[in-house]
Amino acid sequence: MGELSSTTPTETLDVLGRVCPYPLVLAKKAVEKLPSGGVLKILCDAPASAEDSIPRYCEKNGFKLESVRLEDKGYWELYIQKP
Amino acid sequence: MAIKKFAFIVKSLPYKTEASRLALTHAIASQTVEIYLEDGDNVEPVLAFIGDGVLNCLRNQTAMNTYGVTSLEQHIKNSLLLDLKVLICKEDVEKFGISEDALIMDAEDIGGETRANIVAFSEIMKEMDSSHHLLFF
Repeated sequence: MGELSSTTPTETLDVLGRVCPYPLVLAKKAVEKLPSGGVLKILCDAPASAEDSIPRYCEKNGFKLESVRLEDKGYWELYIQKP
Repeated sequence: MAIKKFAFIVKSLPYKTEASRLALTHAIASQTVEIYLEDGDNVEPVLAFIGDGVLNCLRNQTAMNTYGVTSLEQHIKNSLLLDLKVLICKEDVEKFGISEDALIMDAEDIGGETRANIVAFSEIMKEMDSSHHLLFF
């Protein structure tokens, strides 16, 4: 278990069942509201968002990201920390 | 480094055409393109409903029951949830005799904080004049 995924998230965003572009735009909105150092946990089952757009967004903005793929549940848990 | 303003102008009726649904989808999707742009570049969308297009903004749509498709009401609420600027033409609302109570003015039920605005067409023209790109649907 990674550093972020082992901490209690500041906020949790459930976008299960939502497809691109909603997971990213809702994640952006949630991250904006996070305090500095806060961790957002996202539950996402959209592969394009979980594996491409959200990681790309974090990389571009310098946010720390941990991605945990839950094969048995069919979704990802993404942990984003705002600097 | 630049912000490009896009005006999505909806003048089509809500159903039996994909036009207004495409406008909403594109306006919402425009909020994600920053990840593909250079640092500092971004897109600022404005969504305006004019003419017959104001009928897209009616509340209590029953599209699933009538046409078997998802409601545009939810898409408009999603736009407000994502803080898009949503404008509805005042003159056209009045032309159809629609009261503000009958229009989708907020998305409070899904956690939205931004409200739609009923404005004079001259205000929508100003938005169009200040936009880099106009897209009519």
